[in-house]
Amino acid sequence: MKTVKAGPYLTAAGLFALMAAAPFVIKPYHLNMLTEIIIFALYAVSYNLLLGYAGLLSFGHAMFFGMGAFSVAVGLIHIPGLGLGEVILLALAVATLTGLAAGLLLLRHKGSYFALLTLAFNALFYAVATKWHEITGGDDGLSITRPDLNLGFTSLPMASLENFYYFTLVVVGLIILFCWYFTKTAMGQSVLMMRENEERMKFLGYNTNVNRLILFTFTGALAGVAGAFYTLHFQFCSQSAISIDMTTTVLLMTFVGGTGTFMGPVLGAFVFIILQNYLSDITDRWPLFMGLIFIFMVLFVPGGLSQLAGKIKDLVVGKKEGAAALSAQGGNHE
Amino acid sequence: MNEYLVFFLHGLAYAGLLFLISSGLTLVFGMMNVLNFAHATMYMLGAYFSYTLLQYTDNFWLSVVVCPLLLFVIGALIERVFLRRVHVYGHLHELLITFGLAYVITEGVKWIWGNYPLAMTIGGLLGETVEILGTAYPVYRIFIFLCAVLVGVIMALILYKTRLGIILRAAVNDSEMVNALGVNVPRVFTGVFAFGAALSGFAGVIAGPLLTTYPGMANDILIDAFVVIVVGGFGSLGGAVVASLLIGELQSFGVLLFPRLSVALVYLLMAAVLIIKPSGLFGEEQ
Amino acid sequence: MSEYLKIDDIHKDFSGLKVLTGINLTIAQRERHAVIGPNGAGKTTLFNIISGKFRPSRGAILFKGTDISRKPPHVLNRHGLSRSFQITNIFQDLSVFDNVLSGVRSKYGLKYHFFRRPDRDRRIVEEVRALVEEVGLKEVMHLPASALSYGQQRALEIAIALSTSPELILLDEPTAGMTREETAQCIRMIDRVIADRTLLIIEHDMDVVFSLADRISVLHYGTIIATGRPEEIRNDQRVKDAYLGEG
Repeated sequence: MKTVKAGPYLTAAGLFALMAAAPFVIKPYHLNMLTEIIIFALYAVSYNLLLGYAGLLSFGHAMFFGMGAFSVAVGLIHIPGLGLGEVILLALAVATLTGLAAGLLLLRHKGSYFALLTLAFNALFYAVATKWHEITGGDDGLSITRPDLNLGFTSLPMASLENFYYFTLVVVGLIILFCWYFTKTAMGQSVLMMRENEERMKFLGYNTNVNRLILFTFTGALAGVAGAFYTLHFQFCSQSAISIDMTTTVLLMTFVGGTGTFMGPVLGAFVFIILQNYLSDITDRWPLFMGLIFIFMVLFVPGGLSQLAGKIKDLVVGKKEGAAALSAQGGNHE
Repeated sequence: MNEYLVFFLHGLAYAGLLFLISSGLTLVFGMMNVLNFAHATMYMLGAYFSYTLLQYTDNFWLSVVVCPLLLFVIGALIERVFLRRVHVYGHLHELLITFGLAYVITEGVKWIWGNYPLAMTIGGLLGETVEILGTAYPVYRIFIFLCAVLVGVIMALILYKTRLGIILRAAVNDSEMVNALGVNVPRVFTGVFAFGAALSGFAGVIAGPLLTTYPGMANDILIDAFVVIVVGGFGSLGGAVVASLLIGELQSFGVLLFPRLSVALVYLLMAAVLIIKPSGLFGEEQ
Repeated sequence: MSEYLKIDDIHKDFSGLKVLTGINLTIAQRERHAVIGPNGAGKTTLFNIISGKFRPSRGAILFKGTDISRKPPHVLNRHGLSRSFQITNIFQDLSVFDNVLSGVRSKYGLKYHFFRRPDRDRRIVEEVRALVEEVGLKEVMHLPASALSYGQQRALEIAIALSTSPELILLDEPTAGMTREETAQCIRMIDRVIADRTLLIIEHDMDVVFSLADRISVLHYGTIIATGRPEEIRNDQRVKDAYLGEG
């Protein structure tokens, strides 16, 4: 069974190698898009840990994304000499604290009530971002310049698109890889159990309230890092980063990609950004089409594109191998 | 002094709109356990339908009658076609489908009517002002408040004085029981959902001439309606009345007294209620 | 310790409906105690109170001298108390292995760790395998729980309850819905896995009760009408009346 264990790491290594080669083959326009996809993949993966793994529907994920995004912009403008690494850590800290505070207040409620409260809180953050001109720039937003990456012996200029792409690929890529690993850890498995049967968990010594709070804070922190890279990527941040639309975006990506698998949301981010870029050239009504696709998915393909892909794979490869793959997953403990 | 009176009356008008929307929302939630994120888009559609109808007929009263009827039909369709289908998958999917519908309807509205505000004017008696304690005040805002009072009274009469009301209230507590009594519960659900949509659409029709009609209007009022439900307590009609008044006045006086803080005030109220009494002012402890 | 578990004057009403009206019961360490009684007597409610699911309206429960009657379930579990459920309450989409793992790793404090994988901990994995084997589910260890037969799911239910290595275990009708043969097999399994732990069991099947229990309590309309050794209970007139009255 040793080979099975190496599988995901090999896949990840292959994907990294492929992505590392991208700047040599694709145009800058596409490289920009790819950077955006990586950033939104993290955002969607973090959201799926809530929605898919824990079964928690939040309409407030943009709070954390936006707090991360604004931390970078505000930090770079107001704190002179702040480095690239430091500003990302600042965003991480702010998003983590936001997650903890929001979690303490909101997680007392469940289901629909929780969903409603998250939406209302997101609206509060948006309202503050819009009105608090002096700090957030209001409707004008904030423009920044990416600081260079200080590696000690040398400094890597971040004005270069390729350099920033590699920086994003390594840092965000590793975080996504950790998220995958996280789903196998004690905490990650506890999250799955919570979705399955929260009541039984309590009788096995788990404090599910603590469990939920830790997860909520963690996913908030991850979304904050995604938000930080978003500002660094566009070298701009406006209140749209913290708007309900930004929550809708991540919900569409995650659900269309598929909540049932780890890679579903990554696929969703990929499809969404590509569609956004190409459909928006053809029609300004592309959000309408995204919405229709979403409704279609909810009605007919609740497992998203990854479920669809799995079904097609079963048809082509045959059920037998699909079943074997499933049991290999179940047999991870060998 | 008069300034305060004006802002108080402004608050009442907005409270009226909030009540018309949140009462339907809370009724549907109490009965079907579905939180309808598309509820405020019915309000928006009401306003847009009315706008178009007024362009052709210039008869406001026709809008008041026709638009809520149209939304009743749309509401019934949404319940039958979408909600019922995803019901088996559970709450998460019900929430997702209403959220998706809200998104698509909003985008559709932008497509059809454009992504900019539309203004409506109202003529006749409703366009006049009336003198109250020496201050001229628009009749229309008073009209809105009276509409809400009228609807509230009718709803209370139906719920507490008729056989239908008994069935509806029983369905909130125990739908299986009502089913066993030979009442067609799915039909009751469709009816309640459609009625909520019609009420929301009615609010849109009468809000159109007061506030501008624009594609973000649904989201803006939805958040306020959510706050009303949180503050008043889930599923409580009395709570919706009190919380609508509270938030309507808070919005109004917030602008007058703390212009910088006004957007945050309602949220502060909500946060305070969440901390002190999480089930809302009139909600039952779980 | 003769007063290992002491249930002291426990009352429970549900919005005015009195379900338990003053339960008093003392159980010694390593005792195997069965609670029997007609449907609706309040047996499961009593279990729900002991295991922390409900709070009693009145009264106290002393476990090894400490009052545990108002503590949440997860705290009680750490005190060494565990329970099974009458209606199978397992993690349907997880494998049998993961179901049992959930409790074993909880016992070792591996609940919220962000970096360690419980399935890579040799000691934990060995313990899970041993327990799965003990309840006779070795062949289906890696199947999802939902794929098991009813009897196997009941065995898993017991395995999960045992997975945190409790010293006091509460089994709520473990053989409910089983065939005669399955029941016999289940009793042998319970007898083996309980070893020298303290057992409190709710059961309808008198064969199970008389073959497992050292002592029996009869619950009727929210109170205990008799407690004693199996042969005493068999001959108790009040018990006969209670059961005949129902039949």
